[in-house]
Amino acid sequence: MKSSRFGCLSATGLITALLTLFVIGGFSIARGGVLFNPGELNDQKGSEPLQGVYSHAEIAGNCGACHTAFWTGEHMAERCLACHDTLKTNPQDFHKIMLAQSGAINCTRCHTDHRGAEAALTILDMKEFPHLEAGQFALSSHQRHSDGATFLCEDCHGADLQIFQPITCVECHMELDPAYLQAHQADFGEDCLACHDGVETYGAAFDHNRLEFSLLQGHSEAGCQDCHAGALSLADLQATPQTCAACHLEDDAHAGQLGQDCAQCHAPTTWEEASFDHSLAAFPLSGRHSEVACEDCHKDKVFKGAPQDCFSCHAEQDKHSGQFGQDCAACHTTEGWEGAAFDHSLSAFPLTGAHLNVGCEDCHREGIYKGTAQECVACHIEDDEHDGQFGNDCAQCHTPDTWKDAQFDHSLAAFKLTGAHVNLACKQCHVNEVFKGTPQACASCHSEPAYHLGLFTSDCSACHNTNAWLPAAYDARHRFPLNHGDGGNTCQTCHPSSLRSYTCYGCHEHNPAKIESEHREEGIDNFKDCVRCHPTGREEEGGDD
Amino acid sequence: MIQRSSNRELWYSLFAVLMLTMAYVFMVSMLNGIPAASDFFGHMIGIVGFVLMLMTETLYSLRKRSRSARWGRMADWLDFHIFTGLVGPYLVLLHSSWKFNGLAGVVMLLTVIIVVSGFVGRYIYTAVPRTADGVEVEASQVEAFIRQADQELQRWLETRPPEIRQQVQMLAQPGQSSGNALWDLLLRPLDELNERIRWWSIRSQLDAQTRQQISQLEKLLRQRQNLNRQIRTLAVARRLMSLWHTVHIPIGMALFTAAFIHIIAAIYYATLLR
Repeated sequence: MKSSRFGCLSATGLITALLTLFVIGGFSIARGGVLFNPGELNDQKGSEPLQGVYSHAEIAGNCGACHTAFWTGEHMAERCLACHDTLKTNPQDFHKIMLAQSGAINCTRCHTDHRGAEAALTILDMKEFPHLEAGQFALSSHQRHSDGATFLCEDCHGADLQIFQPITCVECHMELDPAYLQAHQADFGEDCLACHDGVETYGAAFDHNRLEFSLLQGHSEAGCQDCHAGALSLADLQATPQTCAACHLEDDAHAGQLGQDCAQCHAPTTWEEASFDHSLAAFPLSGRHSEVACEDCHKDKVFKGAPQDCFSCHAEQDKHSGQFGQDCAACHTTEGWEGAAFDHSLSAFPLTGAHLNVGCEDCHREGIYKGTAQECVACHIEDDEHDGQFGNDCAQCHTPDTWKDAQFDHSLAAFKLTGAHVNLACKQCHVNEVFKGTPQACASCHSEPAYHLGLFTSDCSACHNTNAWLPAAYDARHRFPLNHGDGGNTCQTCHPSSLRSYTCYGCHEHNPAKIESEHREEGIDNFKDCVRCHPTGREEEGGDD
Repeated sequence: MIQRSSNRELWYSLFAVLMLTMAYVFMVSMLNGIPAASDFFGHMIGIVGFVLMLMTETLYSLRKRSRSARWGRMADWLDFHIFTGLVGPYLVLLHSSWKFNGLAGVVMLLTVIIVVSGFVGRYIYTAVPRTADGVEVEASQVEAFIRQADQELQRWLETRPPEIRQQVQMLAQPGQSSGNALWDLLLRPLDELNERIRWWSIRSQLDAQTRQQISQLEKLLRQRQNLNRQIRTLAVARRLMSLWHTVHIPIGMALFTAAFIHIIAAIYYATLLR
């Protein structure tokens, strides 16, 4: 047996396929979409025609009457409503409510066809029916009665599903919990659906804490009517003001002084346990201030306008008797009265040196600060080692650092220090630290040397200056010319051992051996006293002898 | 040896059908009703069923035209062809949700026809002697096989006592032919049933030892009997097979044309239309 070269694509196969195609195509052209009809359409006729037909069966084959092509952008529900247009206009029809709510409606969710001529067009499953959209009330909590029986539509609606009497809720729930329902009715009226939507939004599982206004602590004990007085609808409940003052205006112990936002200080627990954040106030609390009771500052619970200056509370505690004014904070902190830090540099008497380390009381005796004398002697009169010789202004010589290292400006004294005097210690002249009346004569300090042999007066300055004893500048009468030789000789050149004797051999030219030899040659034997023959030192002067 | 006698594809098919039936019954109990053709489950079984039918239509045909053995034995492909050809239509039947109107009903009807036609085709197919790979065997080869079987039978009988030989010769007698090859082909099941009854009747008269010895010959004798029947009906079987192809293929093409249009319509009406 031979099979076709192309298997099923044989000539007879292809012809049959084409024939099938033509038959189906031809049938579709002749009878519309009947061939694709998945089931017989409903044939139950309505009381009035809709768009000219009484039943779906009459438009069998005209698939486009209900089924819209995807490229048209039209939804099947729009085709339904094109015929069933009364659904959009009848105010009693819940379809209108569904349309108004969602703007679109999916008819096939509840209705279907092609299930037979007598088959129901509505497949209503309680669990699937969009009761929330249709009736603004979900059935999620109304699936079964308290005895376990399944809820039926007529249990709430009676014979007409379009009708619902609000008293139906009360009739059922009164049996379940009459005490609660009576109280609830008294509070919120009898229109249950005004607040309840069936999804327990405001039912048994209602949790106020999920809302913006949580009921915490003391609020959880309040009754609904305490806040929602007079509310008869969900809108009323939601419109309840959430400000503290809306309920607690009469409880305000501050008489409105602190505004209406109680929660700034108080928790819902109790009024007493207030916790005001004083840091937000104009007077933040710090240090010891944070430990005091509110009433210590806010007398008679007057909070607004409480004075903020220190003296308004601490006037009685002022140990300075007002000497420093009323601004305690200039020296003190809120940590305590002790440890005040007065900035003495801002005062008329800035503290420097050793003054920084003395206690306030050392200067400000008996707590008297104002008018404290600023003169040195006011404090240091007992320390004056000069016994008042230099007056009262210690600062002329001393600094606040130490008594020592005083720097007296001797140039201002009657005895100016010059030369070697400048470097002398005070004590070298001022014996026993006696400064006043110190004699200014040279001799009071400098005794005449033995060398002078009493030949000079006590006025050393006649020959000497303060730079050094030597060279001295003798300018008085001298029998022997002082400019002998080259000049520039000192007294010791001629008077090496005493001013009462002299020698001419201090110069190199006057060699005793040579002098003797020369004088011998001249037949002079008495040549010991040179000046006797040479009174001015000249050689030729001796020739007359 | 020629001619396959295993029906494993039918057993596999039966098992698959039972499993699918259980799944379907489970879904019925879950949905509390018949799964609609248009819901998820209905669409799924419809799609799988159609794919299996498409495989039935194409794979075996392609394998027959592929002369290469690397694609597997022809007989295995035929088994798979029969398996998918039974399970696929069964899934399509479940997909129908037992509604047979419109084009979907036509497709279902054609499906049933093609399955019945398949059974007929397989019946004719088994009347044509083939190798284990499913390749047809010529009449001369069949006659050679019969002669070979007769020789084996004679060799066996020569070593047996006369009473055993007599009994075996009774069993080896060919079945009654109607004289009409077509009838012989069509009434093959009855002929096989008669053979079984005759064998059972003769064997029941034998003692246990003789039955034990004859049982060794049973397979050989059955094959010989079958070959004799096939050689009688070979010519008519081939003509019927050709005729069956002429009918079966157009039905299949009509079925798949209608099925494709049904699928396109389902996509258009049930998916694209809103």
